[in-house]
Amino acid sequence: MTKHFNVSRRGFLKLGGTTAAIAGAVGGSRLHAMEQKLGGEDFSPVTGKPRQAVPYTCMVCNIEDGGIAYVEDGRVVKLEGNPDHPGNRGKLCAKGNSGFQHVYDPDRIMTPLMRAGARGEGKWKRISYDEATSILATKLREVIQRSEKAGDPAIRNEIVFKWGRNRTGGAVHRFMHAMGSNAMVNHTNICESSKKVGLEPSWGPDIESVDYTNTKYVLNFGSNVMETAYFHNPNAQRLVDGMVANKAKLVTFDPRLSNTAGRSDEWFAPFPGTDGAIALAMAQVIMTEKLYDDAFIRNWTNVTPERLIAHLAPYTPEFAEKESGIAARDIRRIAREFATTKPAATFSYRGPCKHVYGSYQEAAIHMLNVITGNVEKRGGYCLPRGMGWPQPEPKPPAGKVPSVLAAPPLYPLASHAVSTHMPYMIMKGDAKVSVYMHYYDNPAYAYPSSHVWIDLLKNEKLLPFVVSFSCYMSETTELADLIIPDVTYLERHDPESMPSDLRPWLGIRQPVIKPLGNTQEFRETLIQVAHKIDSDGTLGVKKYFAFKNSEEWMRAHFDNIPGLKEDGGYDYLKKNGVWPKYGKVDPETAKIVDKNGNEVQPEFGLYLKELSATDMAGAEVKPDGTIVKNGKTIGCQVNGRNHVGFGTPSARIELYKESYKKYGFNPLPVYKRLPSRDKKADELVLTTYKVNVHTQSRTASLKYLAELYHKNPAWMNPKTAAAKGIADGDLIRVTSPLGYLVTKVHVTEGIHPDVVAVSTACGHSAYGRLAQLKHRDKDAEWALGGDPDITHNVWWDDKGVHPNPIVRLAVDPIGGSQGWYDTVVTVSKAQPGDKYGDVKVSVEQSMKDYEETLRYAYTGDIHRANHKEVDVDWDHLPKPQAGAGH
Amino acid sequence: MTECPTLTQFDAGEECGAQAGLFALLGRCLEAEIDERLLTALRGELREPLAEAGVDSACLDGDIDRVLGDAAVEFAALFVVPGAASPYASTFQTGALFQEPADRVARWYADNGFAFRNAHSGEFPDHVGTMLAFVGKLYEVEATALAESRVEAAREVRERRGRFVVEELGSWAPGWCRVAAAVAEHPFYRQVLALTERVLWEELSNLVSARRLRELSAANARGPARMPLNPDYRKASGL
Ligand code: SF4
Repeated sequence: MTKHFNVSRRGFLKLGGTTAAIAGAVGGSRLHAMEQKLGGEDFSPVTGKPRQAVPYTCMVCNIEDGGIAYVEDGRVVKLEGNPDHPGNRGKLCAKGNSGFQHVYDPDRIMTPLMRAGARGEGKWKRISYDEATSILATKLREVIQRSEKAGDPAIRNEIVFKWGRNRTGGAVHRFMHAMGSNAMVNHTNICESSKKVGLEPSWGPDIESVDYTNTKYVLNFGSNVMETAYFHNPNAQRLVDGMVANKAKLVTFDPRLSNTAGRSDEWFAPFPGTDGAIALAMAQVIMTEKLYDDAFIRNWTNVTPERLIAHLAPYTPEFAEKESGIAARDIRRIAREFATTKPAATFSYRGPCKHVYGSYQEAAIHMLNVITGNVEKRGGYCLPRGMGWPQPEPKPPAGKVPSVLAAPPLYPLASHAVSTHMPYMIMKGDAKVSVYMHYYDNPAYAYPSSHVWIDLLKNEKLLPFVVSFSCYMSETTELADLIIPDVTYLERHDPESMPSDLRPWLGIRQPVIKPLGNTQEFRETLIQVAHKIDSDGTLGVKKYFAFKNSEEWMRAHFDNIPGLKEDGGYDYLKKNGVWPKYGKVDPETAKIVDKNGNEVQPEFGLYLKELSATDMAGAEVKPDGTIVKNGKTIGCQVNGRNHVGFGTPSARIELYKESYKKYGFNPLPVYKRLPSRDKKADELVLTTYKVNVHTQSRTASLKYLAELYHKNPAWMNPKTAAAKGIADGDLIRVTSPLGYLVTKVHVTEGIHPDVVAVSTACGHSAYGRLAQLKHRDKDAEWALGGDPDITHNVWWDDKGVHPNPIVRLAVDPIGGSQGWYDTVVTVSKAQPGDKYGDVKVSVEQSMKDYEETLRYAYTGDIHRANHKEVDVDWDHLPKPQAGAGH
Repeated sequence: MTECPTLTQFDAGEECGAQAGLFALLGRCLEAEIDERLLTALRGELREPLAEAGVDSACLDGDIDRVLGDAAVEFAALFVVPGAASPYASTFQTGALFQEPADRVARWYADNGFAFRNAHSGEFPDHVGTMLAFVGKLYEVEATALAESRVEAAREVRERRGRFVVEELGSWAPGWCRVAAAVAEHPFYRQVLALTERVLWEELSNLVSARRLRELSAANARGPARMPLNPDYRKASGL
């Protein structure tokens, strides 16, 4: 090598090294590391022109993350997270990124349709929105006038509205109350209702928000937070922050090796439905080994440590091992770790609560945080933080008569309804329906024993008029009489807030493009129908819908909120999508930081806020410290200070729930052995689960997502499979008392040997060409829609098999949750003649399940037999009545 | 300078007028449901010429309400309801509703003095029926120009029409007609779709070379491509 100057390599390096060491003194170059762009702007790759950026709130799933839609030539071309949103901090998940495909899906319903043939025959006539809203108005007016004539307000409850996802910010309630009907039924009992009912009587509304970012220890019971679960995207980010930056430990209990379980420091696979036993045993260890927070229990709960120690005595780790299969020594070790690592928190979702007695399991898990004093601490188990918005005046009052469908008399504690019971109640004549409307709802696919819903929806006597507001031909919508399609979430107005972060926020959904092809958003449909029902205002309906359009309605929600008003009200939200702006996402740490680069901290210890002298004026402090004003609890006095406390009658955490006891349930968290625990050795428990790129039923038609995940073989443990002579990929028959389905098997160590797990989101019989792979085997028909993606790029010919038809109805008598993971099945190799995708089930058998599950309700014989320990006057339990306790 | 019309121009003008009528009729039949007025025409003065073109309108005889009702149900099943033969160029070319082809077609309309206005929700400019109607309109303009002896104007509009048919309809519309006709249950739609296909091929064969025609024929014949399934993918996908 030619030497160009007289310095040896050694000398050269020495110079370099010294320069590096004093880099600051030498001074910097013009070059610096490129700052990572966090979004907020985008450009056309063809013209280089900036694309129009319109903020919105995602609604592909229910987390309601903030997004920015990029619009080019009036078309949504790309979605990304809103970097100003405190929850998702600029990131969308795969579902959120794919959402714009909903808008342009050739299988979207773009015009109102009126049924022409028999219900479900698939014969329709195209009509206009004007005609469609007139038809619906006529049907509704008939019920209202009949009720007026008879002087019977109960008749109004024949107008029934069922939703799966209602993010209208009160629009549906306004509409139904304006009709005088209370017959509104949500979907929450197939989702998280028993989690809520396990928690809410204890500490006030809604579920926990864990400060994952600052925690040191997370005990995860049955939540797949990194893939799905409530607040999936924001929580997954915060959990990763905590695990990576804060070295937090994650321990997961889940019968299935989810991607969360797989990324945990420790994964335990308990027998389904035994999380409560594990949590109670951990509590027992913590209490008996004196690892609890004595002051917190005494000051902030309605029990004493002594009482808890006595109550928990039977729940030893050995007892829990017998129930769950998790070794007692591990339960002890984890309990000690959890109690001695600060801060720590549990998180739980569907795993524990989607069982009969799921509320007890949730209450037991919640108790772990309470006894260790982790509630409302930085890095701990916090109350949810959301923001509300006012409803525009005048507000219609609720209907005069409670609806048995919305508030079933046998489930007084199920404050989030028991929607699974609806078809059975209607079939048994408990409720009459004249007009049945459904919105974002697909029970004919998404509910347990889904065939029962199909049976009901086809019954023109029981449901004389069915209206769907869906813009997709789902399994439920195809059984409607009239379809008045809503637009997609990117073309619609809604107010939003979710406790997805510890910093509360308000947001909006707004049309990022004009409704495609002059379709009409649901809110406008409601305004039109209300005006047509009551054109002269004499029925008292129209006055509640005195909005010129949806935007005016939205302004009425947002323009007078203190703080937001000063920032610009609704116009601020139109521009920014979310309020308030807490700071800026730091591109390196992804933390929200202020002008000085310091992280914007959430507020903790909400219950410790002190009441002001004005608050206390006229208030009375009861002997137990509860502060009551005008008959309402406003806080509690602890150590001489007046705090706002928790949202319970005593303003303390009520681990002891009087409301439970009133109906013969145990007021303290207990474990009740489920029938599935006593299954025969060769039987299995069927569990279902969501995957990271799909919602339960609404995303199978999205091309990006369908390509990623479209088939759902049943997961089975190698030992179990070998014992049954089943090999990976075999065709199997899964049989429950309702019937059977034929699917394929995926043999994996990632599942409990007593469990067979099948995901949702697959096996559609409706929902568009892609979801159904309709005519995949017939070339001409497959090419029918002309969509080249479908005809050329669908390389798969397996759409999976949906498990719900064989899932038995069984609900938690307390919280009303469906016991999704309580169905016992047998699994065998497929029989001669069985074809992949075969499903055979019986409605009669499902009706028997309904009768059986009622025996667990508070009036039932099994309830009494299972609660002998409860000291209550069993012969004088409250009489069942609609709306009681709700 | 206005030239005196020659006999050939006169014939051409008449032919353009006839083509305008034909395309207008086909466009009307595919763009919207049959209404009472159209039904009267189909059963009356159009019956014979339709029959000669291979469309037997006797299938539309009988009680008016029933006939219109049945035809509307078939129309919805064929062109409106999810799972139907999507009548939009955007779907055929991009797999999504209302994409660049819709803009392109709308520009064609605007450049020729027309604006698209939908009558029902969910209608876009690149609807095959609207596009056929546009061809009809161009024929009409040409016929008027010829009648007024504006030869250059007629030539110019003829050239534009030819480009529109080849560029915007040629590669997909005849094939779309074939697929839709194959699934149509109502004989009227089956026959009208078959007629539309024939008319389009006829039009195309007058506009392009034999070689280009073969290419268009291949483009229209496209069946679904089958991607080979790789059994190892089962594991790669985690399942
Ligand atoms: S988790 Fe995904 S789909 Fe759900 S709101 Fe967030 S980005 Fe949208």
